[in-house]
Amino acid sequence: MTSTVLFYLLQFLILASALGVVLIPNPIYCALMLAVSMIGISALFFSLEAYFVAGVQLIVYAGAVMVLFVMVIMLFNLKNEVVAFSKGLLSKVLKVSLSVLIFALIASSLSMSFADLNSSQLQPYESAMRSVKELSALLFTKYIFAFEAISILLILVVVGAVSLARAKGGTHASDK
Amino acid sequence: MIYQLGPVLFMATLSLLFGVVVLFLVSKVGPKLKPTKAKLESYESGISGQQASTTKVPVKFYLTAILFIVFDIEAIFIYPWAAVFKDFLAEGYGSFILIEMVVFMATLVWGLFYIWKGKALDWE
Amino acid sequence: MRMDAMEAAINALKLVVIFGMMIQAVPLLVWLERRGSAFIQHRFGPNRVGPLGLLQLLADAVKFINKEEFVPGKGHRLLFFLAPILAMMPGALAVLAIPFSTPIEIAAFDFAGSTWGPYLLKVQGADIPLGIIYIFGVSSLATYPLLLAGWGSSNKFSLMGALRASAQMISYELAMGLAVVGVMIIYGTFYLNEMIDMQQGPMNFMFMGKEVIFPYLPNWGIFYQPLGFLLFLVCSYAEANRLPFDLPEAEGELVAGYHTEYGGFKMLMFFIGEYGHMIVSSSVVIIFYFGGYLIPFLSTEDLRQLLTGFVGEGAMLSLATSLVYLLSFIIKLVIFLWVFIWVRWSLPRFRYDQLMDLGWKTMLPWGLLNTFVTMLLVYLAHG
Repeated sequence: MTSTVLFYLLQFLILASALGVVLIPNPIYCALMLAVSMIGISALFFSLEAYFVAGVQLIVYAGAVMVLFVMVIMLFNLKNEVVAFSKGLLSKVLKVSLSVLIFALIASSLSMSFADLNSSQLQPYESAMRSVKELSALLFTKYIFAFEAISILLILVVVGAVSLARAKGGTHASDK
Repeated sequence: MIYQLGPVLFMATLSLLFGVVVLFLVSKVGPKLKPTKAKLESYESGISGQQASTTKVPVKFYLTAILFIVFDIEAIFIYPWAAVFKDFLAEGYGSFILIEMVVFMATLVWGLFYIWKGKALDWE
Repeated sequence: MRMDAMEAAINALKLVVIFGMMIQAVPLLVWLERRGSAFIQHRFGPNRVGPLGLLQLLADAVKFINKEEFVPGKGHRLLFFLAPILAMMPGALAVLAIPFSTPIEIAAFDFAGSTWGPYLLKVQGADIPLGIIYIFGVSSLATYPLLLAGWGSSNKFSLMGALRASAQMISYELAMGLAVVGVMIIYGTFYLNEMIDMQQGPMNFMFMGKEVIFPYLPNWGIFYQPLGFLLFLVCSYAEANRLPFDLPEAEGELVAGYHTEYGGFKMLMFFIGEYGHMIVSSSVVIIFYFGGYLIPFLSTEDLRQLLTGFVGEGAMLSLATSLVYLLSFIIKLVIFLWVFIWVRWSLPRFRYDQLMDLGWKTMLPWGLLNTFVTMLLVYLAHG
């Protein structure tokens, strides 16, 4: 009973803050709302006994990615960009089509995972450490290629970020 | 589920409530003075600010944050690996998982080397 | 595991006590800090109000409460008030998962017409699964209050201070995250309680199929991870934004950093956050590297036998064991908190570029090296 109430409370928090991201005009509050939403998702994972995923959600999304967002929003005055992005037919078409695309992606992946899901196979692990070990056993054997590919992906991010930050015209325009 | 999440939510609510209640009480107890114009100005060591506080800030901070994300994700991937390393060793697959992680880390050390040589880590 | 009403009430009460202790520790630590700094600098420090100046805390509290409330004219009111409240939360949430001592058994008892128990009372806010991951996750949220404070005050000094603070925190969080990988490899678990259990007895490990025992050393993490310990300690200083890493405050250049516009109780809340962070990182250092609540050269069995002579068997024994271990933990905690204060008043401040250099060009490579060497040694030791 209490668990169910808690679950719906968390859902409400996540959805309300996600709505806030879309509806609040001030970008800094949007970013904070998104952070709240991330933290709520982490709490949801935690309540579903996926403790490791919950921690990762906190460390990577709430603690790193959203900090970057908040920092960037604080650094730049976003007013001009906001105006440029919310006017014009082209941007409207882009916005709508992108939203439809993302919605279709989510819906199709959900329906595919429901087709795969067989709830009778689902068994809770005897301890949280066991579930982490199962996760890594899969990650480091079956999905080894994806794992190594991630390091390449990360290095691409590094190269891209460095070259963007050092490009001409920035605040640190190519020194010397 | 309430068993594990309960204490965390309870503590979060407790500290939030404590903060709100204390700040509210303090605002009632403290003296109420009419704020003057000079007082409301942001404190900039006596000279009033000429620009808004949101001026240009070095892009360095942004770069630091994005590099942080990259290496943080690397660390996150090492955690589950560290948890099973001894298990794999005991089962005789030690060399396999060791080499796997060495390759992963070497790629990122290469990245670190790149940003180091590219002077992205130099401040001033 | 089902909880009955009594157990839920006990647990809730325990959380309130832990939160209260964290709040209470702040005036005591401030007192220790002021007296300690005076001792180091050959001054007297606060010694007039009450014995040893201890009542200075009370006077300070009264002063904080009686301050005028102030919001800078251009500031964002909501964010300005939200920042100090949020500043307390990461510390409070992380302290929750720290095991301070062994559990206390409570025998069944009669209360309000029915029989309750028996219970096992953990001297820990809650036994959170995967404690390390949880503590790291919660502590990684500590950047928000700083950014909000900097933005909410609409002040150039505050904003610069907040940016510096958050860049510094994330840089050192990285090295800290890598420093603990060694610990994880050695213990092979994320549970704090299991880590403490593994540090029982004299130092012993398997090397190439042979057992090696050092009877004169306790089986503490520091002997397996000396470099990791050093990295972790330095990073936890930087995370707490204290000297020699208090660049965000740097009163010479930034007035007072992100809390330039704050005063009174709001300022105190930032202090609660900072001292909460000190308590958490000291506790984590103790658990990772110094055997948690364990007493060196005295195993739990021996201690229980020793105490049986005084209190006999049963519930009293578990209570006595728990109290002895709690004392041991508190002694270690006070030592580490004192080291925090000692370092603050002994070392000069870094320059900002030196600080970032240290974080990215020294701590990060050394953290990677520590990880690499640890995994190689563990691999070789297995043979």
